[in-house]
Amino acid sequence: MWKFIVRRLFITLPQVLLLSVLIFLMAQMMPGDALSGLIDPNIDPAAIEKQRETLGLNNPWYIQYTDWITGALQGDLGQSFRYKMPVTELVEQRLINTFWLSVATLIITYIIAIPLGITSGRYNDSWADQLITGYTYIGFATPLFIFALVMLWVFGYQLGWFPTSGSVAPGLTPGSFDYVLSKIQHLLLPAISMALITTVNTVQYLRSEIIDTKQKDFIITARAKGASESRVYNRHILRNSLLPIAAFFGFEITGLIGGTVFVENIFGYPGMGDLFIQSILLRDYSVVTTVVLLFGIASILGALISDIILSLVDPRIRIK
Amino acid sequence: MTKASWSKALFALMLVLLLALAACNSGSEEGGSSDSEGGSEEGGSEEGGSEEEAEEDDGLYSIEDFSPAKTNEGEAIEGGELNFGLVSDTAFEGTLNWNFYSGAPDAEVIDWFDEPLLYNDENFLYTNDGPASYEPDEEGKVFTFTIKDNVNWHDGEPVKAEDWAFSFEVIGDPEYTGVRYGSDFTNIEGMEEYNAGEADSISGIEVVDEKTLKITFKESTPSLLTGGIWPYAMPKHIFEDIPVAEMAESDEVRQNPVGIGPFKVDTIVPGESVTYTKNEDYWQGEVQLDKVTLKVINPSTVVQALETGEVDLVDSFPVDQFPDNAEMSNVEYLGMIDLAYTYIGFKLGTWDAEEKVVVPDDSKKMADVNLRKAMWHAVDNNAVGEQFYNGLRWNATTLIPPSHPEFHDAENPGVEFDPEKAKQILDEAGYEDTDGDGMRENPEGEELVINFASMSGGDTAEPLANYYIQSWKNVGLNVQLLDGRLQEFNTFYDRVGQSGEDDPEVDIYQGAWSVGYDVNPDGLYGRDAIFNFPRYASEENDRLLEEGVSAESFDVAHRQEVYKEWQQLMVDEIPVFPTVYRAVLTPVNNRVQNYSIAVDWFERYNLAVTAEEAPTAE
Repeated sequence: MWKFIVRRLFITLPQVLLLSVLIFLMAQMMPGDALSGLIDPNIDPAAIEKQRETLGLNNPWYIQYTDWITGALQGDLGQSFRYKMPVTELVEQRLINTFWLSVATLIITYIIAIPLGITSGRYNDSWADQLITGYTYIGFATPLFIFALVMLWVFGYQLGWFPTSGSVAPGLTPGSFDYVLSKIQHLLLPAISMALITTVNTVQYLRSEIIDTKQKDFIITARAKGASESRVYNRHILRNSLLPIAAFFGFEITGLIGGTVFVENIFGYPGMGDLFIQSILLRDYSVVTTVVLLFGIASILGALISDIILSLVDPRIRIK
Repeated sequence: MTKASWSKALFALMLVLLLALAACNSGSEEGGSSDSEGGSEEGGSEEGGSEEEAEEDDGLYSIEDFSPAKTNEGEAIEGGELNFGLVSDTAFEGTLNWNFYSGAPDAEVIDWFDEPLLYNDENFLYTNDGPASYEPDEEGKVFTFTIKDNVNWHDGEPVKAEDWAFSFEVIGDPEYTGVRYGSDFTNIEGMEEYNAGEADSISGIEVVDEKTLKITFKESTPSLLTGGIWPYAMPKHIFEDIPVAEMAESDEVRQNPVGIGPFKVDTIVPGESVTYTKNEDYWQGEVQLDKVTLKVINPSTVVQALETGEVDLVDSFPVDQFPDNAEMSNVEYLGMIDLAYTYIGFKLGTWDAEEKVVVPDDSKKMADVNLRKAMWHAVDNNAVGEQFYNGLRWNATTLIPPSHPEFHDAENPGVEFDPEKAKQILDEAGYEDTDGDGMRENPEGEELVINFASMSGGDTAEPLANYYIQSWKNVGLNVQLLDGRLQEFNTFYDRVGQSGEDDPEVDIYQGAWSVGYDVNPDGLYGRDAIFNFPRYASEENDRLLEEGVSAESFDVAHRQEVYKEWQQLMVDEIPVFPTVYRAVLTPVNNRVQNYSIAVDWFERYNLAVTAEEAPTAE
């Protein structure tokens, strides 16, 4: 088991390196750079040229890359041009927000998915199942960014139950009880909006898996032994049906990253997704590469977690 | 057929219908956009009708119906809180210092707690009403500034002359990380030596006593008085020990900024909100409001935020959302003419990167002034303004927009919309259709295809570009969109020439400039300006631009005359032609008093509200 984890991490390293080179190259190929947005007759072009020179933007890409990667290995991810502060500090600020948003989304996703999946799998083709499947189809078909806007409009503005932008109410002291409460209140609506859409995959997986397992021979055996219906479902079927859900967990994390890009933008929630889009638009390379790298690491770790969970839940799977 | 197969067939049929519906749908969208094109053409052909239309309730607006100042209703309450929405789809960067900021959102944040030492009037001229006053000597090269006695930093320290001098020292420092260093600074005696690291101090800046500063400039120009002197001080006692290279990232800039404005920064949530409290010690007098909260509002939700009273005022409002929300009951719209114009530019030369000068080239496709003039005659910009912007943009005549009332030549009509005249000019200049394809050839009889570069962005970008192409087609000119598509912002400016490597494929382009406080157009049309994208230069142009910043032009009447001549020169030579001027609209909640968006408004301390809670829209 530990051997496996170590080996996986070992493979991960070149993956991440390759990813960073690719990202860096692609970022370089985008037209313009961090300073080209400053087309302003009030700013002296010579001043901009000087900045370019000091930032090393005129160097060939491999020199820029080596500079960046040597810094990165020493924990210095460079300077964000736009924010004029170290990327590490900037990412730290944003990462905390995104982390909590993702955690909340994941929790809500499973809170919704597991009961719905079980109900619809256990009583398949009943009206409850029809209803749930109906919801999942709508969920599949609804684009997240539209849905998030509608949620914001209804619950944020019409009903006024939730704050409509930001990650915390202005003017609170960090660390106080009010501050934490306000943080939770701010991330609830984006998390729910995202969860309601991303959960439909999981519901569907769970449903079909339960229906599938129901007809397996060992279930018939269990029934024949005289196990009660609830025992059959809770012990025998559910445990087996959760396998693919666990395997899905890693992808769920990757999916979340895509989701946060939209949701953070709509809810004005300053997190990584928002930072990512803005840095691309403004060609803030050092930030773009760092963020993509973190996203990459997150999905690779997600896959690893999936594998580990899988081996814990299912002893049949032996990882060598 | 059995019942089951019937239902299957029915299902299949429904799927097919669904696809057909979807296809129709996308078709009708295209139809919709061509409709609007048709509409604008119609608007173009019946020119006389447009004024009558404006009087009827046809969804057209005019900038003249808006005032930059809020009308006050009711009685102001004591104290109170104001919520300010910073409309932006990104977090603000958080470089909260005038010397270091580069994004407009940051400037909005700084505006609440810090202000310039020199105020300006409606003609952008520095006045003596601000925290400091100035006095030029007879030659206009040495300026003596006196800071008023009761001007203090938020931490209680008085603002001293050395604080102002410190600003110059920081921006001129070789290690400086911002973008403010430019001709305004190199014009100070000794600045270049200081910037090169050859001198320890700037010889042209002298701290006379605690409150008096003397700056010696190399050249005396009227531009000095319209933004040519850096008017912001920096608290030396706070920043003294921080190396210049690290200032922008320091907590003193990002977390605990200090200014001289009517409000003090209380808390900052990086990138999303700032709270301010009243500055008890503000130099202009008692500040009315107790608290101001600034937060970032996404442009897609700004209307809801205003309707629910979540924010009282915003820094900018997407003009395309205005027609749908013009009747919002809890706000008043303030408006003014934007310091900007949109234009069509003609490529007339190239950029010499070595010498850093424009090289005009007579062999360029657009080199014939008659062709350019005909193209101006061919487009109806009033129709563009009405069809695409509900009248909130309107026909532009000269290259100095009416936002500079002192210098904009209102009597100059520019070149009016007249397709017949355009055809006539083209005929006379020898652009005739010789091969019978309906498109004109150039005087040598070769096929003439003009490549038009236009930027993507917004819903109107594409139909607008198509409208222009159609208008030119109507007079027989074959204009094609460069590469057959719109260009993304960065690509567009790269190809147009922001780095000096102009793409020879581009013949004409549509761009926009926002203009500075200083009317001097040298930075956009001078011989050595890289932003002179048309790459136009002429001796007359050089002469007028130079004359406009000469010592004689301190006399406003003389300067007006010079720029009047220059505007006419641009109408005659047409290196670019302006298409539309723009309006800025800002909604303000009814409970807010004494607010204004005028350029000479410096009375934030007078802001007040009439109710504790903002009224909501009905």
